[in-house]
Amino acid sequence: MILAAILSSLIFLVSLWLIFSEKLNRTITAIAGAALIVGLGKLLGFYSEAEALAAVDFNTLGLLLGMMILVALLEPTGFFQCLAVWTGRVSQGRPVRLLVLLGTVTTVLSMFLDNVTTIVLIAPVTILICEILGVSTIPYLIAEALLSNTGGVATLIGDPPNVLIGSSAGFSFIDFLVYSLPVVVVVWLVALLLLRYLFRRELAMRPRNAKAVKRLNPAEALNDPKTARRVLIVLGAAILFFFVHHFLHISPSFVALSAAALALVWVRPDMKKTLERIEWSVLVFFVALFVMVGGLEASGALTWLVGILEGAAGMPPVLFGVLVIWVVAGLSAVVDNVPITIALIPVIQGLGAKGVNITPLWWALAFGAGFGGNGTIIGSTANIVVVSLSEKTRTPITAKLWNKRGLPVMLATCAAASILYALAYPLF
Amino acid sequence: MKVNDCMKHKVFSIPSSATIREAAEVFVARHIGLLPVVDEDGKLAGVVGLRDLLTLELPDFVNLVPDVDFVHDFGAVETTRPSRKELGQPVTVLMREAVSVVEECGLLRAYALMLQHDVHDLPVTSADGRLVGVASRVDIGTAILSYWKSLEPMKK
Repeated sequence: MILAAILSSLIFLVSLWLIFSEKLNRTITAIAGAALIVGLGKLLGFYSEAEALAAVDFNTLGLLLGMMILVALLEPTGFFQCLAVWTGRVSQGRPVRLLVLLGTVTTVLSMFLDNVTTIVLIAPVTILICEILGVSTIPYLIAEALLSNTGGVATLIGDPPNVLIGSSAGFSFIDFLVYSLPVVVVVWLVALLLLRYLFRRELAMRPRNAKAVKRLNPAEALNDPKTARRVLIVLGAAILFFFVHHFLHISPSFVALSAAALALVWVRPDMKKTLERIEWSVLVFFVALFVMVGGLEASGALTWLVGILEGAAGMPPVLFGVLVIWVVAGLSAVVDNVPITIALIPVIQGLGAKGVNITPLWWALAFGAGFGGNGTIIGSTANIVVVSLSEKTRTPITAKLWNKRGLPVMLATCAAASILYALAYPLF
Repeated sequence: MKVNDCMKHKVFSIPSSATIREAAEVFVARHIGLLPVVDEDGKLAGVVGLRDLLTLELPDFVNLVPDVDFVHDFGAVETTRPSRKELGQPVTVLMREAVSVVEECGLLRAYALMLQHDVHDLPVTSADGRLVGVASRVDIGTAILSYWKSLEPMKK
C-alpha cells in the first residue's frame, strides 16, 4: 500500500500548502482534500465512507458548537463591549494600565471562549477606545491576539487544539487546570512583560485626550442586560459542570450542548439570526480535516512517521518532549495549528501503542500548537482577525511589524514553556 | 422628461491627476457632496464623494462597533487630522467607480439606480462618455413629482 500512503500524503501536504499560501480558502481546501482522499480510498480500497464518518470527532464538534451558540446569544447583548469600555475607564487612559487590563480581560475570556470570538468582540471596542484616547492601536491589538492565544492554552475549552487533545487523550477540564494552567500563567507573564518592553516607545506616549475615556459609561454599552444575565448564568453553570464532568461521566460536548439548549429555551432568540452568528466555516473545516486525516491514517502514511519518531523517542524523553514543542510550534506558526494537531494526534496514539509514555507528549503538543501560533501574522486566526481589523484604522499592522513584535513573543513563550516542561516533566 | 431636462449643466469636476487636498478645496468652495473625476479627454473616470474624503478624518472603525450611542465624547478623534502626506496623495486612491447615466436616461430608471446604489448624486454623460452634468436626488425627485401637476385633482 505504498502508493496509497504516498498519494494521500501528497493530498494532505498540498492542502497544507494551499492553506499556508492562502491560495485557496482553508475550508474549501479541506472539503476538496477530504473528497479526494475518500475517492482515493475507495479506489485503492484503504478507506471507506463509513470509516470516513467514523473519523469525525463529534465530541470536539459538539463542544465547539455548544460554546458558539452561547457566544452567539451573548454577543448582541453588548456584554463584551461593556467589559472593554469598563477596562478603558478603569485604566483612566494610562497606556500601560490599559494594555494590562485589556490583555487580562481578553485572556480570561479566551480561557473559556474561542479566541477568535473573543478577539472579534473585544478588538473593535479597543480600536474605539484608542481612537478616543488618540493613541496608536497597534500595541493593544497585537497584545490582545498574542495574549488570547497564550491564555487559550490554559483550559480544555480555551482553544481548538486543546479541545482536540482533550477529546483524544481523555484529559478532563481539571487535568488542564492542573498541568497546563500553571505553565500558562508563567508564560503569559513572560509574554506580557516582553510586550511591555517591545512597545515601550508607543506606551510611553501620553494620550491626547484621557478625559473622554473617563466619561464612558459601561452600563450604557450593555444593550440588553436581561439576556446578558441569563446567558452568563448558563455559561457559569456550564463552567461549573466542566470542572466535574469526568466525575459525572459526561462529556464536555454534552455539557456545552446542554448549556446551549438551556440558554436557547430561556432566551428564545430569533433562531435564524442566532445561527447566522455561528462560524459554520470553522465547523465544516474541522469535519473535512477529520475525514482527510482519517484517510491519511488509513493509508498507512502516518505509520511511517510513527516509525521515524519511535527511533527519535530513544533520546531522553524530556528532550524529545521539548523537541515536540518546538517542531509543533514552528509548524503552527506557518500553517494553521488545527490541521497540525489533528494530524499529530494519531501519530502520538501510534507511539503510545508502541509503548512510549505519551502523556507528556500530549502536553508538549498543546503547548507547541498554542504558543506557536503567535509567531507570524497568519499563525492563528486571532492574528489574522486583528490584522484585518487594523486595516480599518489609521495604523494598519504589517507582516514586517508582526515579525518584530510577535515572533520574539513566540520564541520567548516557547522557551519559557520548554523550561517549565523540562522542570515539571516528572509530574506529567 | 429625460435626465438632461432636470440635471445641473454647470458641473464641477477635477482631473485624475489632482491631489486629495485639491479635491477637498473644490468640495469646500462649491459646497457639494460628489465630485466627478475626469481624464484628459473630459471622459468620466470615476467619482470621489465627501464621504470618501471624510474617511481620512474618521476611519471605518466606527462601523466595527454595533452602536456608538454610548460614546458621548469622541475625545481625540475630534481633533485628529490627516497628515500632509495623506493629503498629498493623488485623488485616485479614494476614487470609486461612478454610478452614472447617459443624458437620455428616463427619470425613474435614474431614481432606481440612486436607491439601489445608495447615492445622492448621479453624474450624467454623453453617449461617448464625456461628463455633461450632474443630477441630484432632489433634481430627479422633484422633476418626477412635477408630472402630478398635470393630473386633475379628484372632485369632492
